[in-house]
Amino acid sequence: MNGQMRRWFLGTAACYVIILGGLLYWHLAADLGTHSANPRYYRVFSEPRGTIVDRRGEPLAVTLGEEENFRRSYAAASLTHVVGYFHPRYGMTALERIYHEELLVGRTVQTTIDLELQLKVESLMEGRIGAAVALSPATGEVLALVSSPWIDGNVLAERWSEYSEDGRSPFLNRVTQGQYPPGSVIKPIVYGTALERELTSPDQIWNDQGVFRVDGRTVQNFGGRSLGVITTEEALALSSNTVFAELAVELGDDLLSVLRRFALGSEPLWELGGQSGFVPQRAYSDHNKALLGIGQGELLVTPLQMGMVAAALANRGVLMQPYLVQELRGGFRLRQITRPVELGQVLSESVAAQVRDAMVLTARSGTAQGVCSDEVQLAAKTGTAQAGAKGDHAWFIGFAPSPMPQIAVAVLVEHGGTGSAAAAPIGAAIIEEALKIWNREKGIR
Amino acid sequence: MRPLYRAWLYFVAWLGGMALWLFYNKGTALWWQPLAICAICVALFIVTERRGCPPGGLQLVSVLVLLGWVFLFRLDSGWAARQFWGFVVGAGAYLLGLLLPWLHPRFGQLAAVAALTLLVLALVFGTRISGARAWLTVFDTFTFQPVEFARILLIIYLGGELAQNRLNVKSAAVLGLFLLLLALQTDLGPALLVFLVFSALYFTISFSWLKLVLFLGLGTAAAAAAVWKFPHLRTRLLAWLTPWDFLDSKGYQVLQGIFALNAGGLVGRGMGEGMADVIPAAHTDYILAVIGEEFGLLGTFALLLVYVGLAFWAFRLLLEVGDGRLRLIGLGFTLLLHVQVLLVVGGILRLIPFTGMTLPFVSYGSSSLTAQLWMFGMLTRLGREQL
Repeated sequence: MNGQMRRWFLGTAACYVIILGGLLYWHLAADLGTHSANPRYYRVFSEPRGTIVDRRGEPLAVTLGEEENFRRSYAAASLTHVVGYFHPRYGMTALERIYHEELLVGRTVQTTIDLELQLKVESLMEGRIGAAVALSPATGEVLALVSSPWIDGNVLAERWSEYSEDGRSPFLNRVTQGQYPPGSVIKPIVYGTALERELTSPDQIWNDQGVFRVDGRTVQNFGGRSLGVITTEEALALSSNTVFAELAVELGDDLLSVLRRFALGSEPLWELGGQSGFVPQRAYSDHNKALLGIGQGELLVTPLQMGMVAAALANRGVLMQPYLVQELRGGFRLRQITRPVELGQVLSESVAAQVRDAMVLTARSGTAQGVCSDEVQLAAKTGTAQAGAKGDHAWFIGFAPSPMPQIAVAVLVEHGGTGSAAAAPIGAAIIEEALKIWNREKGIR
Repeated sequence: MRPLYRAWLYFVAWLGGMALWLFYNKGTALWWQPLAICAICVALFIVTERRGCPPGGLQLVSVLVLLGWVFLFRLDSGWAARQFWGFVVGAGAYLLGLLLPWLHPRFGQLAAVAALTLLVLALVFGTRISGARAWLTVFDTFTFQPVEFARILLIIYLGGELAQNRLNVKSAAVLGLFLLLLALQTDLGPALLVFLVFSALYFTISFSWLKLVLFLGLGTAAAAAAVWKFPHLRTRLLAWLTPWDFLDSKGYQVLQGIFALNAGGLVGRGMGEGMADVIPAAHTDYILAVIGEEFGLLGTFALLLVYVGLAFWAFRLLLEVGDGRLRLIGLGFTLLLHVQVLLVVGGILRLIPFTGMTLPFVSYGSSSLTAQLWMFGMLTRLGREQL
């Protein structure tokens, strides 16, 4: 019995030695002083925190109040997914975190965001669950980015528990983190690939019976209707599943390699990061190839990736790296300017022009017909992606004005219904608003 | 003066100095409370020695209580004031534990009935504060946590039963019912604690590798079932593995604890210089993180040494106990204390998932302090020859 007591004491003491090891590690060995969730790091204030401004210099995030009692104020609630928040209790996220070191010493971070456009997109997305992103096709600048619902950085403490319990996940940035089946918005890439491989031409004649049979299974048009005698270009404009399923079967794994060229299936290398989505290594059957061709099967994309696709189609087939921060000002190094980065020519210039023409047709007489006035010269594609019992996801990608596009947009509404009805009006309104803003500015100049 | 007393006086003087520093900085009407704690400790010390019991453990416990009071005062003087009255009640409980024959074999069955009754009362009439813990209100004014007392009563019963006839159906049923009642209140920290201590006692009287494997299997299965059944446990488990993914729930607390320790470094940031307001439950479960930030590794190491000293004292006392039954119960008490310390501190240090219990004698909480002191009184009583 005495031996047992001694053993228990040694056992207890051994446990305390392990505890001592833990103490040694956390007290001395670990280096958490600059962890982004550590308030000891972000509460350090020597100088007033720098301002984050939009592309015109309008403030997006400013510090209000006196030392020790400051408050960070944001120009728009939806900006939390872009600019992030900076709060003594809840830490920091997004640009507030990434540029913390610069902001701490008072530097100004100039973003590519257009505040006026951002507010417009915010009002369009309010009350919906989804994501919208607007890019400048020639550079990759992000003009507006809204993930709805959002958390409002101005009232974080008051509404934190409400946000935490919200089943719609307002913390999730759906633009970068949300992964969805693309549905028909993938068809411009299928169309472009088929043109590039010379499998078809825009005016090839098809007889769309509403059903395409492969491997003893069928692929149907939306609603099962047959579109009759149409050209390939019209097949894109009217979103014929049978034509694109047939093209995809003939393209096979070539299509997947082109999808990867568009940076689908890989993580975007920009400030906010994001999910990679999914593009399979190869299709396992002809039926599978057909499904991939209409954006179903295993394909997953993020709204940001679809925005990049739209921008590349608008930019003569050249894919640009998206970016959010234009310039850092003030401090020792005075100015640091971000230069646009080309990710490559993903479709040849002539093919990109043909795809653009088909998308113009889509906006003029196809599934995106009548969503905005003809002056806008919209090029667009809608999508309705099957997403289980809660209803289809509504997609829209588009750009304008079509010969020399200034803005490319991707919109997704979760379980919103058809792309034409739920997403296209939002996308078109974003584009119209952006062009209105810029035309007004040109007028002033 | 014997060296032990001298060391104790040094400690008390040091804590008194700290309290003075605090008063200087915060200004208060509570200046007499640490002095009163010291005075009560001295009184208890004298009574203990007069009764022929070893008083060494009490010295260490009084250091812990004073340290706890000082840190509660630093966090919020209101907590310290209430903790003082909790200690006054606890001192009474210590005397009751020391002076009355609680461990008489006749009371064994009664202890089991009392333990289960307390839990049933808590389940039926209890209110919940901060998630899992059930509180009982008596006469509208006095609230306490029955589980703090129930687990000690259960160990008294189980220790007695195990010492007499190994494991029988009745004691196994009582243990099962006890754990079930705790599970119904989703209070799984104490359930784990009681299960561990019971297993330890069981293997003390009859050890075989086969049984050990069986127990481990059973325990793992129960843990898996609990994790599967209770979503908040799942959150805790995930918050333990990847706290940064759970910043809006349990992960926040885990991270703030280790941030605080890390900020403390070797010597700490100094009293009152830490960022205790960002640590959830800084005055109860996470008080070690506050001490670690302000006194550094030296402070937490010293605290650990006090607990190890307490263990050393208790095991040396148990070696002298002739009666096998009393020795087993005493071992149960000792393990109840130290396993709780190890679970709490291990949880803060992210060595194991956090189980949510107080740091004995240091954390805020009158029920916990009273129950621990009562148990400590009974343990000290074992240092006497007769029952």
